[in-house]
Amino acid sequence: MAEENVTFTLPDLGEGLVEATVLEWQVSVGDVIERNAPLVEVETTKSAVVIPSPKAGRIVALHAEEDRVVPVGDPLVTFAVTIGDDAPQAGIVGKVPTEEARPARRVRLKPPTD
Amino acid sequence: MSANLVGDVTMRYADLRPQSPADAAPVLLLHGFGTNFGMNWQAAGWPQALGAEGLRVIGPDLRGHGASEKPTDDGSYLPERFVSDLLALLDELDIARVDVVGYSMGSRLAWELALTRPERVRRLVLGGFGPVNAFEDADLSAPGEGTTPFDHVYRTVSALPGNDPAALAACARGQAGRPFRADPPVRVPTLLVAGAKDAIAAGAGELAATVEGAHVEVPGRDHLNAVSSRVFKQAVIDFLTS
Repeated sequence: MAEENVTFTLPDLGEGLVEATVLEWQVSVGDVIERNAPLVEVETTKSAVVIPSPKAGRIVALHAEEDRVVPVGDPLVTFAVTIGDDAPQAGIVGKVPTEEARPARRVRLKPPTD
Repeated sequence: MSANLVGDVTMRYADLRPQSPADAAPVLLLHGFGTNFGMNWQAAGWPQALGAEGLRVIGPDLRGHGASEKPTDDGSYLPERFVSDLLALLDELDIARVDVVGYSMGSRLAWELALTRPERVRRLVLGGFGPVNAFEDADLSAPGEGTTPFDHVYRTVSALPGNDPAALAACARGQAGRPFRADPPVRVPTLLVAGAKDAIAAGAGELAATVEGAHVEVPGRDHLNAVSSRVFKQAVIDFLTS
C-alpha cells in the first residue's frame, strides 16, 4: 500500500460567498481522520459551518491559520491518503511513480484554545 | 429522513436516528430567527456530534422558516402557536419527553415549551439567549429600516434565499407580542450557553442563576459563530448525558 498527498481547497459554500474565516481546526497535523468527520469550523458573513472531511487519511498540512480569511478555491488542508498498489490512479493511463508521502510544507499552528 | 407534519401550518422536520442508539431522550433542536434547521444546526455539525453519542435528533423548520409554511399574519407567530406545533410534532412521533436545545429565538420558544409543558421536557438548553429585549427600540411596523441590532439582524436574514421578509416581519411582531419574562421560571434542569462576545445573550449568567441552572461561556465567540463551536457542543453533550 502506498500513500499519496491530496490537497483540499475551500469549497464553494453557496449563495455567492467568496471567502470564509477559519474559526477552529478540528484536527492537527499528524492526526488520522475518517471521511465525513469534522475537519474545520469556518465562518461566512451569513453563518458558521463545520466542514466535514472529504477524505480518510492523515493530516499532512493545514494551509490556513485560525482567524485567517481564505478565498474559495485556496488550499485548506493536505491529506496523505492510502492507495492500493493495484488501484487505478484517476486520470492517469499507465504506471507512474508513487509520490513520497512527505509533507510539502508544514504550517505552525496556535495550540487549540479550548 | 425529512417529513412534513400537516397542521394549520405545515411544518417540515428532520428525524435523524443514530446508528447505535443510546437509551436516552431524543434531542429537539430549535433554530433561531430567519434561519432553519439545516443552516443553524446541520451545517454547524450538530446532528453528527449528537448522533455520535447515540442521540436521536428531531429538527423542525419552525413556522415562517425553511421549508415550512410561512403565514404573514402576526397572530400566527405568538410563542404559544410555536409550542402547539412542537407538541403536535412530539405526539406525531410518539415521543413523551425530549431534551430541548434552542438557539436565540429557538431558546425563547424552548423556554415557553418547558414552562407550559414541563412534563414533556427532560432537560433544557438555551443557546445564544439572555433576558434582554431582542426588539429594543426597533420599529416593528417597518423592520429593517432602523439602526437597532434587530434591524440589522432582520436585514441580514430577509436577504437569505428562501426567506419571506413579510413572514419574518410578522414573526418578529408576534414574538414581540409576548415579551420574555424570567418569572415564573422554568422548573426543568437548564443550561445556558453563549459566546462571550454575544450581546444578544447579555444577562445569560443571571438567568442561569434565576433558574438554578448552569452557564457556559464560549471564549471569543459572538452570536453568529458560537453555534458551531466545539465548546458549545461538548457542554451540551456533557449536560445531556451526565
